[in-house]
Amino acid sequence: MRTYLYDGNFESFLTALSLALEHQEDCAIARAGGAGAEAGLFSEFVNAGTDPARAAAMREFFEERGSAESWHHARFAFLSEAAGAEDAVLAYARLIKEKGRAADDMLADPRVKKVQDLSRSVGGEAHMFKGFVRFKELADKTLYARIEPDHNILPLLTGHFRDRLGEFSWIIHDARRGRAALCSGGRLIYAPITQEKALEFDGREAAVQALWRHFFKTAAIKERTNPRLQRQNVPLKYRKNLTEFD
Amino acid sequence: MMDLQQKLEILADSAKYDASCASSGSNRGGRGTGAAHQSGVCHSWTADGRCVSLLKILMTNECVYDCAYCVNRRSNDTPRAVLAPDEIAGLTFEFYKRNYIEGLFLSSGITVSPDRTMELMLEAVRKLRETFHFNGYVHMKVIPGADQALIDQAGLWADRVSVNIELPSDKSLRLLAPGKTKDTVLRPMNRLAQRIAAHKDEVRTIKSSPAYAPAGQSTQLIIGATPETDREIIKLSEALYGKMALKRVYYSAFVPVMKDNRLPVLREPPLLREHRLYQADWLLRFYGFTADELLDEKHPGLDLNFDPKTVWALNNLDKFPLEVNKASYEEILRVPGIGVTSAKRIVRARRAGPLKLDDLKKLGVVMKRAIYFVTAGGKYGGIKKETEEAIKVKLLEHKNPNGQLDLFGEKELVKEGLEATVTGQL
Repeated sequence: MRTYLYDGNFESFLTALSLALEHQEDCAIARAGGAGAEAGLFSEFVNAGTDPARAAAMREFFEERGSAESWHHARFAFLSEAAGAEDAVLAYARLIKEKGRAADDMLADPRVKKVQDLSRSVGGEAHMFKGFVRFKELADKTLYARIEPDHNILPLLTGHFRDRLGEFSWIIHDARRGRAALCSGGRLIYAPITQEKALEFDGREAAVQALWRHFFKTAAIKERTNPRLQRQNVPLKYRKNLTEFD
Repeated sequence: MMDLQQKLEILADSAKYDASCASSGSNRGGRGTGAAHQSGVCHSWTADGRCVSLLKILMTNECVYDCAYCVNRRSNDTPRAVLAPDEIAGLTFEFYKRNYIEGLFLSSGITVSPDRTMELMLEAVRKLRETFHFNGYVHMKVIPGADQALIDQAGLWADRVSVNIELPSDKSLRLLAPGKTKDTVLRPMNRLAQRIAAHKDEVRTIKSSPAYAPAGQSTQLIIGATPETDREIIKLSEALYGKMALKRVYYSAFVPVMKDNRLPVLREPPLLREHRLYQADWLLRFYGFTADELLDEKHPGLDLNFDPKTVWALNNLDKFPLEVNKASYEEILRVPGIGVTSAKRIVRARRAGPLKLDDLKKLGVVMKRAIYFVTAGGKYGGIKKETEEAIKVKLLEHKNPNGQLDLFGEKELVKEGLEATVTGQL
């Protein structure tokens, strides 16, 4: 069976998806170097590369043949980085090719459900992180936040913080993926961060953090203590980057 | 001299009994720092599982009133503190830029007079807006008894305004809150409702008309400090949503922080009752129920064993089972185990083809409850001769085996609550 390999970027993935859709026989998509990219006895690998025209045409395919909603789900499902997400999007795209926008209504169909579930999980985590990002003020007044989300949600957070913190320079560092978004003067760039040097904080940073921790502790009503509910809302895995749980 | 940390501790401690937490319903933005998010954002959850989205503090816990239930009552021997307008604005800004919060929730005890208190609170919020160019969310308490002109100003600076009713009847107010009556509470609420409505009219013709409390008005009722029934409480909420166009009524289980012979002695706050009231409130706002459908004079209290929608369905078994392929959206909403999201999914998915019972679970329906109340393509999966008692027995089997009622067993209602918070349906 043929497997199209992409380089990890969304544009490259869309290129692979476009090639896979054109291919008549059964095929798969895998990230180069990732699981599913190991050679097997009958496997054949094709490097998809990155073709901006194909990528743009794929977007158009989802939006026109399907709908804005189909495009949204396909993109978010890809960002989940979940095992099998690529093939789930491929199966979904095939269904859209066959049924058009009627596919959007087939909510109980496993091909639709799979992509929508992944998409919802990504959307949910991105929303949570609009709340969970914690900035610390560096000596040069830049606001720095470290996050370790399950999904690749960094691109879904930047617009939100650019709107809010337009007057500040800020960095959100996805430590799990070694990538950061940097915003200064309204200009946003993404960059790989390979090594984290020791950060130098603003002189007042520790005091503000202490005030916040005091506030957080005080705001709980002890007669209503409910750690289970707290855990359900703030999963333990997110707490190490939350100032109030330090 | 008290330092900022001590003041913050005292003033956060006194503000925490206010249940209001939403930061939704406003779309503020533009030049400066901060924006409000239409659907609201929760930033953390405290050890009691309640969401933190705003810096919720009192400006001062000094108070000229002596309300029996209140930790800040004049006769209580407790440390007092005051935050200056500059301190409030500065602290909000420092917290906001670190993304600890969505904004400020500012309430206060009554210092000197209602007018003076209101003036200082307005000064703090004005500073935040004008000096710090803050566009984040502000929820401001309006002080009953303050001058109308001051009350009017609150809506110009804040996204949400609120006056707490606290005690659900005039009799209870007179008993426990000398100095307050139903009238002193309802008058500013009514005034704000008029201003909000007038502004809505105005923007139709004058687009640039400055925002007036864009996230509307809310209030809070204390549950279990006084003898009002759930029916009286839910009827009151229904009237507040209808006549005053309130966005939210919050219910706060009474926490006996003060000893007073006019107050009931409770072993613990009535959390389950509070939870049931929230569920009933949701049924009023999102499910098309009326208070009279949920509770009548013979049954004035919400059942603690079953959620109010299940109770309604059991009392109306002649309307069930419902065929999910044919029923209207409004009818589907009334099925126990089906929330707003899954009802919408059902209506959408059946356009693509007839639904089977197996499909419902995939659409998010909680089948262990819905199964007694629906058919799909004529197929019924519940017990053959359904009677109220038989279904009750079956439903109770799903409860926690140790007999303790499990709030989280009612997943879709809890989840609906969260979703409603995050999607701004509030």
